[in-house]
Amino acid sequence: MQGIMRNILTASLLLLVGAVVTAQVTDKDLLNPDPNDYLLYSGTYDSQRHSLLKQINTSNVGRLQAKWIFHLTGAKDLEAPPIVHKGVMYVGQYNRVHALDAATGRLIWEHFRQPPSVGWQRGIGIYGDMVYMIGQDSALVALDRRTGNPIWEARPSQPGKRFQGPMPFAAKGMIIVSGSGQGGGFIEAFDALTGKSRWWWNSIPKPGEPGNETWAGESWRNGGGPVWVSGSYDPQLNLIYWGTGQPTPDFVGDNREGDNLYTDSIVALDIDTGKMKWHFQNTPHDVHDWDSNEMPILLDAPFNGQMRKLLLQANRNGIYYVLDRTDGKFLRGVPFVSKVDWLSGLSPEGRPILTPGHEPTVQGAKTCPSTAGATNFPSPAYSPDTKLFYLIAQEGCGITYRSTTNFRPGQGGSGTAYMESPDDRERWQLYVRALDAVTGKKVWDYEQISSFHYGPGLLSTAGGLIFAPEQQGMFTALDAKSGKPLWNFNTGALITAAPTTYTVDGQQYIALAAFSNVIAFALPEGN
Amino acid sequence: MAAQTNPTASRQSRWQKANGILLFALGSMLFAGITVSAQRGAGPGPAAAPNPAIGNPQAIAEGERLYNETCTSCHGKDGTGGELGPPVAAQNRRYLRRTDQEIFDTIKNGNVGTQMPPYAGQFTDDQIWRITAYIRGLRGTAIDTPAAGDVAGGEAIFWSKGNCGGCHMVKGKGSILGPDLSNLAGSRKVQNIVDALTKENHKIAADGGTHDTTLLPMMTYQPVRITTADGKVISGILKNEDSFSLQVLGKDDLNLYRFKRNNVKVFYDPQSLMPHDWDKRLSPAEFQNLLAFLTRLFVPPPPAPPARGGGGGVG
Repeated sequence: MQGIMRNILTASLLLLVGAVVTAQVTDKDLLNPDPNDYLLYSGTYDSQRHSLLKQINTSNVGRLQAKWIFHLTGAKDLEAPPIVHKGVMYVGQYNRVHALDAATGRLIWEHFRQPPSVGWQRGIGIYGDMVYMIGQDSALVALDRRTGNPIWEARPSQPGKRFQGPMPFAAKGMIIVSGSGQGGGFIEAFDALTGKSRWWWNSIPKPGEPGNETWAGESWRNGGGPVWVSGSYDPQLNLIYWGTGQPTPDFVGDNREGDNLYTDSIVALDIDTGKMKWHFQNTPHDVHDWDSNEMPILLDAPFNGQMRKLLLQANRNGIYYVLDRTDGKFLRGVPFVSKVDWLSGLSPEGRPILTPGHEPTVQGAKTCPSTAGATNFPSPAYSPDTKLFYLIAQEGCGITYRSTTNFRPGQGGSGTAYMESPDDRERWQLYVRALDAVTGKKVWDYEQISSFHYGPGLLSTAGGLIFAPEQQGMFTALDAKSGKPLWNFNTGALITAAPTTYTVDGQQYIALAAFSNVIAFALPEGN
Repeated sequence: MAAQTNPTASRQSRWQKANGILLFALGSMLFAGITVSAQRGAGPGPAAAPNPAIGNPQAIAEGERLYNETCTSCHGKDGTGGELGPPVAAQNRRYLRRTDQEIFDTIKNGNVGTQMPPYAGQFTDDQIWRITAYIRGLRGTAIDTPAAGDVAGGEAIFWSKGNCGGCHMVKGKGSILGPDLSNLAGSRKVQNIVDALTKENHKIAADGGTHDTTLLPMMTYQPVRITTADGKVISGILKNEDSFSLQVLGKDDLNLYRFKRNNVKVFYDPQSLMPHDWDKRLSPAEFQNLLAFLTRLFVPPPPAPPARGGGGGVG
């Protein structure tokens, strides 16, 4: 009898242990993530970056404490939002992954790939029993999430292409990555378990493909349209929404007359086949090195009295766009910074009406917003509680230059432009800005004093908070309704990443990668 | 206040090309005929294998053209730093690659582990030497082309008539309100020094261009007037600030202050404390002599540390 009892006990324990070990990340998990985990770059597929956790809220965030720090030796400019799954945190960059105990910051395993790299890469993907890292040599690497053992590697299927740095995006049994290279930008989907390529899509259409006629002569061969940030996914419509980058050469448009599709565009692809369903080009024939790589937020909301499936994007070019995400129809476009002088308005289809005199020149031309953009890749957020769209807005203007000579195909560097206007009234200044999500009207501003260069992204929580790191190191919690600061902590280094939040053993944490450290914050014990 | 890139930097490289004739806004008649030979590429750093492009204006101009076509989108205009790469010629920066050979090797072979690719396939060795010479020229500072004039007379003006020591320090003598000028000629170009003396609210570029990799104190010497809750007024120079605090060096007592932003009123004075009309306060000869003094304020870099000798032991 005793023997049988012991066997039953052992079997039960094994079952318990087994349950924890086989906690794979499934498609179902990703469609409706456990709020205690943080599994995707933007938290959820609609990219709202709104956590349902509310243990940390407006009434107690003033008591938030740093709980632990993990230092990534040799790293800098970390852009990864820390991913957390069942109490294990995954953070990394090109060529490195670290798995940490998310409650204590102790290292469980780490994996390095040669050589040491400090490139800009936006984090580690997770699916099944694997985590996914991008190698600087343009490899998608799948590692066992429990130990870091390498399982498989994949490279871009098309010759001459290379992966850039977005977080590998897991959906429907696929890992979606992207990049650029010979012939322009691309998005490619790989089977998450085997690494076999499922489909790819190219930003620059070849002759005979629709859109190729928007490049004069042979200029489509220049390439462009790099895809260096991931996007959003609507499982009901079966579409993914990604943004593309600028045409090549960036600042000289002479030899590429035409709209240059599909650069500076939001594209909707069928997730099963990669076929493009619709596109919307934010900046046709871009000469400012802008792009459309700003995270599109998906929202179902009433528009003009009618419930609609919307896509919201605050674009680098200074315009806040509201589109219908079923067909890409332009619904609204309003400036979200005070000075936007390169256009005088938008056509009914959302096409910019250009103001002459703001193209780059050899002596330098002033453009508002600057090349750095009215916003950039740092993640925006949306709160269903306040119905506000939160973003990092950059006020100010810039000077754009084009090179003294003409562009030669194959050469980079047709100009430069990340330069602040010398006029004091046009200097760069960052704000956390709250807009009414549907009208785009500004509701409040929070000035991030001393910060002038984009980098950190936002997190919204059901605790009524916006967590806003600052370029110059400050990490601040704002009241989501008013923008009033309720808590702050100086992390001591340049921040270029967005925070995440998760729960371990009943305690909610806020985690942030700050330059070369990951810091986790929580309330004092007993709260 | 954000540090910003110096729009006069591009003009400076053309000054350097003019082989030492220093023409100022006030008029060339005073300085015509005073020639100082330029030493292009003679920036800081130990001597190395000779760069065939050094001293050859056409080769350097070719280097500038190649740089402008290829390097600016990462490294910025005039090497001041761009969106994707560090500055290669920002003022007062500590460089990892200082010799012609080190710069040449980095351009040719790239920098493994970073975004800098090798350019061996794209440029010939000759072209890479020219780009190197151009970059070294960009790094040139006033000490490479010091102004002619009576240096001792200029020093006297600095301390007495100009009372520059009321704000500035040279080798420990003077005050601490404005920048230390001990290495002025080793960190600034001649044109920048002239502009600082003659242009209203002249701003100097901070290190790092637009892609800072470290947190910096403020480089703009922004004057502020702080009014505390109990009515006290403190004037000073802003050392740093964020949304919650300000760090100020007091003008009158030279003490360091910290203020909590929500306790005080802050007035950012648009007018710099630095007078900008020295060309009017001084006679042309006095101005020239002051410049002769200022363009020789130089602290040479320390010699390379000795190689570890024989014998065991740590440290």
